[in-house]
Amino acid sequence: MAQGLCPTHMRRFLLIPAVLLVLLVLSLRLSTGGGGRAAQFTFINRGEVNTLDTNRMSWLQDIRIAYALWEGLYTLQSDHGTAAGLKTVPGAAERIDLSDDKTTYTFHLRPQARWSNGDPVVAGDFIFAWKRMLQEPADYTYLLFYLHGAKQYSEAFEAWASARQQQLAMPAPDFKQVGVTACDALTLRVQLDYPVTFFPDLCAFPPFFPLHEPSMRPFAEAEDSGHTNYKSAFMRPPNLVSNGPFRLAEWQFHRKMRLVANQYYWDRGQVKSQVIDQLSSEDPQTSFLAYETGGADWLAEVTGDTAFGLAQRGRKDLHVFGAFGTYFYTFNCNAMLPDGSPNPFADVRVRQAFAMALDKRFIVNQITRMGERTTTQYVPPGVLAGYQSPAGLAFDPKAARRLLAEAGYPDGAGFPHFSLLFNNEGQHAKIAEYAIKQWADNLQLGDRGTLAGVEINTFRQYLHNKNYTMARANWFGDYYDVSTFTDKYRSYSDNNDSDWKNPEYDHLCESAEREGDADKRLAMLSRAEAILLKECPILPVYNHVNAYLFRANVHGVSLNPRNMALLKEVWRE
Amino acid sequence: MFRFIAYRLAQFPLILAVIYLLTFILAWVVPGSPFERNDRKLSVQALQRQQEEMHAEHWYTFLGHYPARVVLHGDFGPSLSYDGWTVNDILHDALPVSISLGLLALIIAICCGVGIGAMAAVDKGKALDWLSLSIALIGISLPSFVVASLLLTVFAFYLHVFPVGRWEHISDVVLPAVALSLMPMAYIARLTRVAMIDVLSNDYVRTARAKGLSRRSVLWKHCLGNALLPVLSYLGPAAAATLTGSFVVEKVFNVPGLGQHFVNSVLNRDQTMILGTVMVYSVFLMSLNLLVDVGYALVDPRIDLGARQET
Repeated sequence: MAQGLCPTHMRRFLLIPAVLLVLLVLSLRLSTGGGGRAAQFTFINRGEVNTLDTNRMSWLQDIRIAYALWEGLYTLQSDHGTAAGLKTVPGAAERIDLSDDKTTYTFHLRPQARWSNGDPVVAGDFIFAWKRMLQEPADYTYLLFYLHGAKQYSEAFEAWASARQQQLAMPAPDFKQVGVTACDALTLRVQLDYPVTFFPDLCAFPPFFPLHEPSMRPFAEAEDSGHTNYKSAFMRPPNLVSNGPFRLAEWQFHRKMRLVANQYYWDRGQVKSQVIDQLSSEDPQTSFLAYETGGADWLAEVTGDTAFGLAQRGRKDLHVFGAFGTYFYTFNCNAMLPDGSPNPFADVRVRQAFAMALDKRFIVNQITRMGERTTTQYVPPGVLAGYQSPAGLAFDPKAARRLLAEAGYPDGAGFPHFSLLFNNEGQHAKIAEYAIKQWADNLQLGDRGTLAGVEINTFRQYLHNKNYTMARANWFGDYYDVSTFTDKYRSYSDNNDSDWKNPEYDHLCESAEREGDADKRLAMLSRAEAILLKECPILPVYNHVNAYLFRANVHGVSLNPRNMALLKEVWRE
Repeated sequence: MFRFIAYRLAQFPLILAVIYLLTFILAWVVPGSPFERNDRKLSVQALQRQQEEMHAEHWYTFLGHYPARVVLHGDFGPSLSYDGWTVNDILHDALPVSISLGLLALIIAICCGVGIGAMAAVDKGKALDWLSLSIALIGISLPSFVVASLLLTVFAFYLHVFPVGRWEHISDVVLPAVALSLMPMAYIARLTRVAMIDVLSNDYVRTARAKGLSRRSVLWKHCLGNALLPVLSYLGPAAAATLTGSFVVEKVFNVPGLGQHFVNSVLNRDQTMILGTVMVYSVFLMSLNLLVDVGYALVDPRIDLGARQET
């Protein structure tokens, strides 16, 4: 009969922890990357960087790094004391000549401007980047359509690539038709179809940054269709070559990105910190603790309850300031809903009623509590010099009930069930709950409103495919011009989630695009916004705020509404 | 024995292929796109371009491109959500991190769990038993994000014994490993206790004591080995889960391991990344289960893996 295991077998058990210990030591050697030289400035960005391809960028954290690594024809600089907080100044171009009709820009590049490998920055670098932007469409390709012939070229290239895929013969489109030429190595001439008053701002935006083609060439993969892909390794160190204040020295995925001052940068004397580390941290609580224990000098995003708690305690290192963005509810304006039933919100009076039946003060005072301002306007006020947002629909429950009655739902009778779509993250659920209750109370809708909370990517898909009745939304401006907001609601805009179509609005936006006089232009856009606010495809709720944490020994972190502190300017004592 | 191992290894490719296909189907049908995770909507051309570049326009273009590369080159392709990184890069970076964290957690769990369980069994009914039961109960009941946040706040924030959110030195591994070890430690303690009590009640134990062997010698040489067999069978799946990282612990401690990628890849709808992480986990699970089965045979002479069943 078995007595059990003998001692030698018992010893075999001890092998397990022993083996595990050896493996542990080995894997620790592999996984812990040594810290190396300490950085002069460390910050926690909004999340891990998604891409360092300037043509493809759209996330804020990527754009923040882009301003550190690259420099466009124009660039941004802090402008303390102004509402905008940033101004556009010449960057890679030292002198810009503007034609009398304001449609032709001649950029004279700085002779001393260099890439991080010492190569001179030439006009061809901009042409390569812009051509790629038109050939490989991305989020912001439409901004290049201000260039003469750019839209036609992009469409022609797409048609040519499709034809090639089907093995049909077709002449290749000629890039010379696009209004950008290199007169010589240091002179770039850009031809616009009409004056664009904010073209310098666009030039300072990452999609207009130059790209260093020679360093990308080894990673190029030509497709049969004529498209050229670049293997993503081109944007990793040591391959990435950039022309901005910093170069990318190290990128450990989901850990740290190290930026080192670019020794060839023409303005290197003004770069305040020589080594900057960006730490990657996704959990807000951990990010906050890392900042508290001195692991980071600047925490670039402090959210919700943490921020409120710190504000309550009167923390001096918490900085809250207005953002260039608006939180609003969006209505599906189509006549029929995705499920085939008639859409009550297709009637403008219903939308107006809902807008006037929501008391937004509770939201900013009790839910978000970060000092946001409620708003009835779409464009955030006070940021854009010279622009006057028209008044929107104020809170007026009596007028709201009257409008609803006129629309055929007296005292809410007969109003169909509707759902409010939002994503579960953050405070959207609480805001939605409150909103539904407000409409139930003020419009006598009872329990006709329901909450539809989903995961964020599912939410985005529903929103973009107009598969909703009413949804939460927000919008942040990309550059300091009204059109970054108003363009969204053109009938043919991809970003028009409401499917709201108004020919007069479109006409005003298009006329404003062509208008060379800045004041007249802003007046047109103000009229356009007035139409938007009256027709109410959106229900503005409040203007966003940004919240940073940094101590008194940190300088140069600009508190501008665009949430764009320039890493060239930051330093720590 | 070797035939057994060979037979099990030969099953791997088929099982992995089925897992790959099932995971792909689930990852493909879920709503959302890896290319549209922003508030801005991509134009039709831009979306199509990105899909073409990533061979993700249709399910058949995806399946026509990626599985062959996985089989032939072990290349899972580019990450669809993180431009600049391939799935292999990310796995290469994250796997050693999760493994180190998991190994330390396992060592702690095994040593402490067995120790606590054995002591509890020996002192059955008394204070030590009650204490070990309490520890086990806490370890199993407390959610990992509570334990992790508590440890982080107390030891890193208030006491400054450990740093927060870094992964550069050995000291960065300790707190997350402790947090990760509590659940398996609790299970191992319970399993050991029950098995030990059962073993201690055997006749041969009384015989050994009657023969004059010391209590320590009886416990250590003759009892513990038998009591550890159930622990061994638990270790297989426990090791697979621990070594591939826990999402919660990694998120709270900011550990750049694989656990975060498991969940983030689904949230980002990053199909190549989902497949990469699931394949890694599957290989781990199957290998560790095989190791456990082989381990049984090595430590327990009563088990013969090659023996056929008598019908």
